[in-house]
Amino acid sequence: MPSPSLPTLRRLTTVSGTVRRRLLLFSCCSALLLAQHRTQAASTEHWNFENDIIPILSRFGCNTSGCHGKAEGQNGFKLSVFGSDPEADYDAVVKENFGRRVSPAAPQQSLLLLKATGQVPHGGGSRIPPTHPQYLRMKDWISAGMPQGSAADPRLLRIEVRPEQLQMAMQQSVELRATAFWSDGRSEDVTGLATWQTNSDAVASVDEFGNVRTGQVPGTVAVMASFLGRVDLFQALVPHPVQPSADELSRLARLSQSPVLFDRIVAARLTELGIAPAAACDDATFLRRVSIDLTGTLPTAQQAREFLSDPSVDRRQKLVDRLLQTPEFTDYWAMKWADLLRVNRRTLGRKAASAYYRWIHDSVAENSPLDQFVSRLLTAEGPLASNPAGHFYKAVTDPNDLANTVSQVFLGVRIECARCHHHPWDRWSQSDYHGMQAFFTQISFKKLGDSDALLTAGTTPTVHPRSRQPVFAHALDQPAPDQSPPGDRRRLLAGWLTAPDNPWFASNLANRTWAHFLGRGLVEPVDDFRLTNPASNPELLGALAKKLTELKFDYRQFVRAIVLSQTYQSGTDATPSNAVDEQNYSRYPMKRMDAEVLLDAVSQATGVAEEFPGMPAGTRAIQLWDSHLPHQFLELFGRPVRETACECERVTEPTVSQVLHVLNSPQIESRLRHANGRIAELCRQHSDDRQLIENLYLTCYSRQPTADEQSAALQHLANAPDRLEGAEDLLWSLMNSLEFLVNH
Amino acid sequence: MKRSYYCDGIRRRDLLHLGVAGTAACGLTLPGLLAAEQAQKSRSPNARDGMSLIIVFLQGGLSTIDTWDMKPDAPPEFRGEFNPIDTNVPGIQVCEHLPRLARQFDKFALVRSFTNPNSDHGPADHYLLTGYRPGPGFNGGLKPNNQKPAHGAVISRQLGPRGSVPPYVCLPKMHNSAGSSYLGSSAAPFVVDADPSAPGFTVPDLMPPVTVRADRLDSRRSLMNRINRFQKTTELAANRGALAMDTFQQKAFDLMTSEATRAAFEISAEPDGLRDEYGRHSLGQSCILARRLVEAGVRCVLIDHTNWDTHYSNFSVLKNDLLPHLDSAMSTLFRDLHDRGLLGKTMVLVTGEFGRTPRINKDAGRDHWGPSTAIAIGGGGIRGGNVVGASDARAEKPATEPFGPEDLAATIYHVLGIDPQTLFHTAEGRPIPIVPGEGRVIQPLFS
Repeated sequence: MPSPSLPTLRRLTTVSGTVRRRLLLFSCCSALLLAQHRTQAASTEHWNFENDIIPILSRFGCNTSGCHGKAEGQNGFKLSVFGSDPEADYDAVVKENFGRRVSPAAPQQSLLLLKATGQVPHGGGSRIPPTHPQYLRMKDWISAGMPQGSAADPRLLRIEVRPEQLQMAMQQSVELRATAFWSDGRSEDVTGLATWQTNSDAVASVDEFGNVRTGQVPGTVAVMASFLGRVDLFQALVPHPVQPSADELSRLARLSQSPVLFDRIVAARLTELGIAPAAACDDATFLRRVSIDLTGTLPTAQQAREFLSDPSVDRRQKLVDRLLQTPEFTDYWAMKWADLLRVNRRTLGRKAASAYYRWIHDSVAENSPLDQFVSRLLTAEGPLASNPAGHFYKAVTDPNDLANTVSQVFLGVRIECARCHHHPWDRWSQSDYHGMQAFFTQISFKKLGDSDALLTAGTTPTVHPRSRQPVFAHALDQPAPDQSPPGDRRRLLAGWLTAPDNPWFASNLANRTWAHFLGRGLVEPVDDFRLTNPASNPELLGALAKKLTELKFDYRQFVRAIVLSQTYQSGTDATPSNAVDEQNYSRYPMKRMDAEVLLDAVSQATGVAEEFPGMPAGTRAIQLWDSHLPHQFLELFGRPVRETACECERVTEPTVSQVLHVLNSPQIESRLRHANGRIAELCRQHSDDRQLIENLYLTCYSRQPTADEQSAALQHLANAPDRLEGAEDLLWSLMNSLEFLVNH
Repeated sequence: MKRSYYCDGIRRRDLLHLGVAGTAACGLTLPGLLAAEQAQKSRSPNARDGMSLIIVFLQGGLSTIDTWDMKPDAPPEFRGEFNPIDTNVPGIQVCEHLPRLARQFDKFALVRSFTNPNSDHGPADHYLLTGYRPGPGFNGGLKPNNQKPAHGAVISRQLGPRGSVPPYVCLPKMHNSAGSSYLGSSAAPFVVDADPSAPGFTVPDLMPPVTVRADRLDSRRSLMNRINRFQKTTELAANRGALAMDTFQQKAFDLMTSEATRAAFEISAEPDGLRDEYGRHSLGQSCILARRLVEAGVRCVLIDHTNWDTHYSNFSVLKNDLLPHLDSAMSTLFRDLHDRGLLGKTMVLVTGEFGRTPRINKDAGRDHWGPSTAIAIGGGGIRGGNVVGASDARAEKPATEPFGPEDLAATIYHVLGIDPQTLFHTAEGRPIPIVPGEGRVIQPLFS
């Protein structure tokens, strides 16, 4: 504090004590005011901690969940993750520990700055150089006395990233600009303060300054900037540099002229990107592929023969219609729903899990429209014996888990992060999260005879963890009510979920379904819809969602529409233009079969059924409702445990152990040698090796062997010491080849 | 390039994305990429090739207050039933039920001021086996459940295989947290899903069944090569998952036909007397097999032994079942490695995921106790007969500078010659060092 000016001091020496003191006080105050005025005149800055300092803490990684932003802080210094609690952060920086972190008298000696620049030992190292403009800003703020700002200060309205979208060549750069728009009308360049991220590293990368550089893969990419909780996107389209050949162009033209809307949309994107679709797959490939994708079951040799010799023009359509009505279709999709809805024997018990599965199976068998299926599930109540859908609430009991699960499974939105803080990459707040959770706080179970009944009652309040205010049930993006809605709140939720204008329900189901057939969702991961994870082709996603809605959520009709498209019926051939494309559906992807499907395929190919303890003879793996039935093969190939809502539970990555198992397992070997297995049967039935070989090819690959394949096999059989052994070897080779293990 | 942090780690997406970024951007196929990775290993300046790691993981949580961090002067409701005996290192005492181990204390060290902030099965395991506390969304029941790669996976990825044996092996089963996370399936462990103490032990599926003679396997293989339509096609190269299966098939055949691998797993080749000395039980035979594997070139062996979770009848279970096994297995492992001149190149870690409650519970047992535990660690340049740190009078918490799983991670990589600042990127581009920022090498182990 500067001393009083000299003239005032001289005057003081000539007056009485009290007056002297008063004058001293007055002059000190005026001097102080003078000093403040001088400071303000020197810097016209009006500081606001949240607007000015928090972005710096975010930008340089101080408040991330790996460091000071984690729940317990780091080395005694805790910040709110992603700056979601500016009040608490201000206290932590300025007031905590007797304010030892900041030194306004000697700002550069502030512990905060010494640590940040690594001048004193810091676990996070040197985060910011002392020459950096943002370092200097922090220093100035500390010199100014660490003002917090006031509620009247401008608020951030939004940020904008420019350009919004561009078509770019490969290995090209562009500098993005992020601008913040404040409530006082001001706009500000925050490029250097925003956090940048790309959703497809292969297509384009972005550095911390917003410089984007495309790679060597054609496709679309979204680059996101985040500043003070607001986000915006830049989207780029990177076409393939090489001109498509005449053949490729004609294939593209054919796709563009398809009567199916999905195909035309895919074609439009491929045209923009200069990527050509693969040629259509042949009948044998289609037969095997669609059987696996629709029913999780290989066609039999007989079915293959019949289909391949069917001359009718619409044979593929007839095949699809037949497959949709098979019991295997129901079994397979019941299994998929059981995964998502957690038919878990360990949590539910045998009887309950089985009853729960049965309800799901029945719903699929009678082709329940999906909106009704979900509605019935969510609003189930009463005795579980007559309302087995209610087992869902026994499988997922905690209201928080229910909020997460319902969002993730039915909306494809992960809100879990928002439980504890503002969601980092989307707009959900804790209020949104707890609004969803509040739909599930009325559920209880009462014992009724030897089973339970589900009751909904009560108005247990959900409390916002920070504000401690009650949060009443409201769905995502809906306004928060000021009181609890009356009655069973789940009905409200079900109504909102399945309403025609719900932005996520239809898109999510459409996306998951498309991902199942085409190997990759429009949104990936399929349960991660988010502002900052846009669909790779929003038009296609929209068309799919619209189709599902128009079909009134008739699932069989929906999947029929997909598998009869040209896009689905592409081959797997890679051409120069589409070889690296994994995003735009230019060719059908090769997918390792699901664990259950592969096990059934092995059983079917070898003609020896698997025996599952406790299950009737002849049960197939896709019919197993117990995901915890101990089974080495199923575990090895990534069967889901059904303990979370995550699609990722099903592990589809190949491992060496899986490969070794199919090569060497004694169980498979004994099936090859089985006295009543396929090999023994075929050797008895066919004395002609050619017929034997043909049958094995039709069984495993649903096609005839080529001339080369046939001669290789004939040769092997002729040279084998024993015909049976030779035939076993052939089936072994067929099953271990990729054409068997992979759906193509 | 700077990346932002997510609050959840998504494995599947990580793997897909990592593959795309790797293969497509470099224009390499998966085999090519694997080879290139081998070539650009990041080593610390004092890289020492030939170092191996054996982790004996006592799943459930070894009661260190009853074994190698005893408190005979504590009140009876803490000290327990066992008495300490002298070891062959003056000043160090150990439980009376580990008499053979007592004679090997000059071969390894103890860190008695170790602490694992997590006292929950699942997360505590992950923390210890990877150096990272698991974040939100962690599910200990998934297998693998890794949000971060286990030490063996990092070692496998950074240093690659030595010869034709797999670089990272788990036995007699894979612990749920032993996986490779975003490092991908090429860094995943080779899992031996069988008990080496079982008569007629073989690695499941490593060899074809006996009815398939060697020449028959050959002829099957050549037939398969002729008819395997997708092999070496451009469409295979354009599909990473299928390409990986193809690569793994090559790897599988390498393993199957490798004499070194077959010999490495042939535990029956060990002299009976030595096998007896290790102990004819799962822990003993896992240890002798681990030694054998390390000799054959395996870089990291993770033995997962259960069940040390002695909530009930802690003392009788330890005395009658568990400690005799640990005694024979651990003492012989150190003696054997030492006598063969391997101890200098083999780091051995013996620990559970946490310690156990100092106050005995009503069931004569002890419950989980993360705040204070003691790890045994030796070989690889660690000074034997050393005790680093101490716990307080009742083994409730460290009395000296505490060390945790991050520090253990730093120490492991230091010994293996891997730079602890090595960064791997997840699919979202988040760079994650193999050792969390706070981890530091436990220097007193080496002085």
